[in-house]
Amino acid sequence: MGLMSGLVPGLGLVKGMALTLRRFFAPKATVMYPEMPADVAVRFRGRLQLLYDEYGALKCETCFQCAQACPIECIDMGGMDTKGRFHVHWGPPETYGERREESALRRSGRTVPDQAYEHFAAFDLATVDAILDAHNHDPKHMLQILEGTQAAFGHLPVAALKRISERTGAWYAMIYGTASYYGHLRFEPPAAKAQAREVSARRPSDDRYLEALGASIAGRPGGDA
Amino acid sequence: MTALARTWDQLTLPGKALLILIPLLAVLTTGLLVTILLFGQQILDILIDNLPIVRFVFAASVLLLLAPLIAFVIIYMEMKIIALMNLRIGPDRVGPWGSLLSTVHGLKVLMKEDFTPTRADPVVFTWAPVVVFSTMALSALVIPFAPGLFAQDFHLGVLYFFAIGGMTVVGLLMGGWASFNKYSLLGGIRSAAQIISYEIPLTLSVVGLVMLAGTMSLNTIVLQQSGSGWFTDWYAFRQPLGFLIFAIAATAEANRTPFDLTEADSEIVAGFATEYSGMRFGFFFFAEYIGVFIVSALTVVLFLGGWTAPFPFPHISWEVNPGTLGIGLLLLVMIVPVLGTLLFALPFYLFRSQTRWWVALILGFVLFNVVVGGLFGLWAYINFDWVAGLFWFLAKTFGLVFLFVWMRGTLPRVRIDQLMGFAWKWLLPAALLNLFVTALAIMVIDQP
Repeated sequence: MGLMSGLVPGLGLVKGMALTLRRFFAPKATVMYPEMPADVAVRFRGRLQLLYDEYGALKCETCFQCAQACPIECIDMGGMDTKGRFHVHWGPPETYGERREESALRRSGRTVPDQAYEHFAAFDLATVDAILDAHNHDPKHMLQILEGTQAAFGHLPVAALKRISERTGAWYAMIYGTASYYGHLRFEPPAAKAQAREVSARRPSDDRYLEALGASIAGRPGGDA
Repeated sequence: MTALARTWDQLTLPGKALLILIPLLAVLTTGLLVTILLFGQQILDILIDNLPIVRFVFAASVLLLLAPLIAFVIIYMEMKIIALMNLRIGPDRVGPWGSLLSTVHGLKVLMKEDFTPTRADPVVFTWAPVVVFSTMALSALVIPFAPGLFAQDFHLGVLYFFAIGGMTVVGLLMGGWASFNKYSLLGGIRSAAQIISYEIPLTLSVVGLVMLAGTMSLNTIVLQQSGSGWFTDWYAFRQPLGFLIFAIAATAEANRTPFDLTEADSEIVAGFATEYSGMRFGFFFFAEYIGVFIVSALTVVLFLGGWTAPFPFPHISWEVNPGTLGIGLLLLVMIVPVLGTLLFALPFYLFRSQTRWWVALILGFVLFNVVVGGLFGLWAYINFDWVAGLFWFLAKTFGLVFLFVWMRGTLPRVRIDQLMGFAWKWLLPAALLNLFVTALAIMVIDQP
């Protein structure tokens, strides 16, 4: 072929033209994405990856929807801690300390063990069901249902939320989101009045407190004492 | 301020324009109608007396109107064919298979800002695209598209074509010079150098053909190639070297790959058109694609038999006189479209269960129109010489346009020194050789 291409002028030209003509009739490589989605397995949900925005901050808002939608429950997640540090992990929850924290358990709908290692009291599902019946099991009335539940129990027990989720068909994460959005809904029973009084008593009285505060900041910039 | 002035101030700009234009149009139309009614016969007599001028004006108008359409078709062909050769799909969003994309590009160009650089020569800057576009469009005046379908059967057609086509260089130089940009000027000079260099082998390669034909009239040249009806009569087989030189030089003349150094879009900004934007650039762009069409058409006319079919087809006579049908014709016109639409819609509705009835009706209507259009075209092809001629002419021309696009999809661009060296060291001697050999052959054959 090398000899031929040297002997016949224009052979390379013809070869190139033939190549493009073959390409002209060849099947095309374009993927017509929105019209023709890729042929993937039914349970495929994409690659597990946390995305960052252009400022380098995580885009994850810890909405738990991915964890809730995961068909094989392989996603487990956390969020930002109180100091603003990211501790976002995915994988088996048992490997992470914060997964065993009470708030994490409650957020993911798992059983929250009592602090005092007490068994849960038998839960009165009939009350929840009555509230649900009154609101026609309609997830659109979630705020009213939650308010009724709190009126009945004093707070929103995990078992009640799970019952509501089961009966209304709303995702647990959505109910949790609704409940955590409103300040007047709470997940813990309010502290007993006696206990509250005791805590107030242990706090320094105003005079002593201000005196101590003035002493602690005296002579430092910002302090005026 | 009177109420009238206040109302006038409240009008928007288009409103003001319409308020002026509508009465003006009404007055002009009335005046025209009155003139035609009063002096119609005299005007007709004057027009008949000056038939060549009327013919020229009419043909030039038609060509100038058709030029953008041809450019749209060729631009679409280029986008689609190169995309297919690149294993892409190409335009497929606007219109069927994306065929309206070039039209949309034209509208886009129309809406862009028309920018004139500071200290540019405004008159020359404005006229450069006009010169380029109109020379391209006007050089088509002598091309015979079909038997009887040409603007002028000019006895110096070939000469006229090269003379007018050569004026493109003036437009390019005007554009490059008036832009007040040294790179534009360099681009203009570069394109002038290229086009003038290739003009010489291009013209010389045709001289042999003209000697054989004994005429410069393009119409006569086509008629000479339609002797036996077979494609062996084409001048491409009697002037193979001339044909090759002409093809190469024409590629350079039309600024096509591999000789598109004038506007090497991936290397230099845009050559002479660097400072052009909006519709002025659009006219340069249109002119390029019309140039492709014109050059292909001229190649077809000179070397590939023009509007003659490549094979002698058996003559079929299909005389239909619709007048004999009487009232039946009216019924036929009323019933056949409905029946045809239903007939073509039925298979879609029956055999594709997800097709809704109205979608099936639309598909049936479209299909019916396609079939009837095809039958009508066949009838026209059989009964009218010029339809058949136009069909073959356009088929050959767009075949050559496809070749141009194919070359653009394949070949790399040559260097400027290779370009010039090839023109002066190879094409020009080859063209001269072709000329002398042809002259010798004519002398030897005509000697006895």
